[in-house]
Amino acid sequence: MDRIIKVHNLNYRYPDGTVGLKDVNFEVVAGETMVIIGANGTGKSTLFMNLMGVLDGTGRIEINGIVLNRSNLKEIRRGMGMVFQSPDDQLFCPTVMDDVSFGPANLGWSSEGIITASQKALLLVGLEGYGARTSYHLSFGEKKRAAIATILSMNPNILLLDEPTSGLDPRSTSKFVNILYTLKAQGKTLLIVTHDIFLAQEVADRVLVFSEEKRPIAVGGYKEILADTELLLKNNLVHQHRHRHDALIHEHEHRHGYLHEH
Amino acid sequence: MRVIAILMITTNRLVENLDPRAKIVSFLAIILCIILTPITRYKDFELYFLLILSLTFFSETTVGQIFKRTCVLIPFILAMALFVPFLKEGQVWGYLNVGYWKFAVTYEGAWMFLNVMVKSGLSILLFVLASSTTTFPDFLKGLDMLRAPRLLIMLTSFMYRYIFVLIEEARRLIRARDMRYFGRRYKEQFLVVGYMVGGLFIRTFERAERIYSAMVLRGFSGEIPCVKRFRLSYKDFLFTAAIFILLTGIVSGLIYKIGCIKIPDARVWIGL
Ligand SMILES: Nc1ncnc2c1ncn2[C@@H]1O[C@H](COP(=O)(O)OP(=O)(O)OP(=O)(O)O)[C@@H](O)[C@H]1O
Ligand SMILES: [Mg+2]
Repeated sequence: MDRIIKVHNLNYRYPDGTVGLKDVNFEVVAGETMVIIGANGTGKSTLFMNLMGVLDGTGRIEINGIVLNRSNLKEIRRGMGMVFQSPDDQLFCPTVMDDVSFGPANLGWSSEGIITASQKALLLVGLEGYGARTSYHLSFGEKKRAAIATILSMNPNILLLDEPTSGLDPRSTSKFVNILYTLKAQGKTLLIVTHDIFLAQEVADRVLVFSEEKRPIAVGGYKEILADTELLLKNNLVHQHRHRHDALIHEHEHRHGYLHEH
Repeated sequence: MRVIAILMITTNRLVENLDPRAKIVSFLAIILCIILTPITRYKDFELYFLLILSLTFFSETTVGQIFKRTCVLIPFILAMALFVPFLKEGQVWGYLNVGYWKFAVTYEGAWMFLNVMVKSGLSILLFVLASSTTTFPDFLKGLDMLRAPRLLIMLTSFMYRYIFVLIEEARRLIRARDMRYFGRRYKEQFLVVGYMVGGLFIRTFERAERIYSAMVLRGFSGEIPCVKRFRLSYKDFLFTAAIFILLTGIVSGLIYKIGCIKIPDARVWIGL
């Protein structure tokens, strides 16, 4: 098995002294979908920023067998795409089309290639005909999908998606799951941060759990991790709270998105 | 009648559909001519006015809309131009008494006032027409393809993109404050406003950093690549050529002469 991403002893501390990541070690197999779950503030977004070389932590990150450093950043980024948590950070051009074609244009493709790729990406996220729209006037979910399109148009080999489905309505979410299946079939490596255990169950090959110590605490096949209620409970991913089944209101641990029998 | 109807339909969105480059070049030419025409040739301005009006007929916007939008902008210019008749030195035309003060209005000042008002009025009319037939991103694209400085265009496009985000953010902050503020301790509110401005600044700063990394991650290296999406068609050339011919006609006084000599009745519409 090819290990496409290897992270060894990665540490990161923000300039103000906050610990972002502490001794992170994990590996990703080429072509697999790894879902990263963890409570808020456990360093998932920080990890992505480090993988893309935006933040410069200590430790070693190997991508495609090449150790990430300043000099080969550009080369490595050609094959990687990242969707930011906030779409307003991702969409900076006046129109959606400008944004979606920004990446391909920077890759030096021909004009026709750029336009075809951009239109294909917009079609894939269900935003065909939105090309001339101003990003500011889109709804949150539309922005989110446009942000995903800006990466899809570049056709990267490794995709890092930071909470891609937060704020999407159920239909857009299932549409997005479809896109993920397409990407999986194309052999892309996917890293997805999400709080949606439902999504994890749908697409994950393996699941990585981040703990409050800002490092992965468990990694494994999606079935065993998602079945390990104690682990999830300990990491705030499942929790005790009251909820309702028609007339019956009672309290027990509960995974969001799960329907259960009584 | 039928011919007119067909003409109406085909030319209905003519100005909208033009390449932004054609619009920028020809509108700039019109504005230049307007500005450089001495105010004493006041008859020329009537022609410019007619030219702009006829342009609106080739667009989807109506004359009414254009005038409405222009009227919104006129007061600003009036406010600036109002002092000119009093400040400009020269031959005194008359006096204006306000209480104890006596203001002298000069001939030069009055002409200057007329100059500013007519020229800026016409320019604004044209500007409103341009902005209601061209989207801002298209306008920027046009400027870019006309080789305007990239940096300037990038800055403008960022401003256009994020000014709304910023305003929205400020509004959110204010709303969040208002929801939890019930009118007590008003002195501390200045401090709170200070916090808000500071917070807004930091947010902007951090956002700028994140946006920059989003750009870098997609291969940005200091230059925004240009994807050509506009193609000049014969319509654009025809339009620009027509405008230039008309302008030459107006500037050389040819059109006015034709209006005066050949059809004496033309005075009716020239005096519009
Ligand atoms: N710019 C920053 N400066 C200082 N500390 C930061 C900064 N960004 C994040 N942190 C801190 O680093 C830690 C990890 O943050 P990160 O954004 O990676 O969390 P996350 O796992 O993505 O959380 P979430 O699920 O809420 O998105 C948090 O404790 C956070 O407070
Ligand atoms: Mg995050």
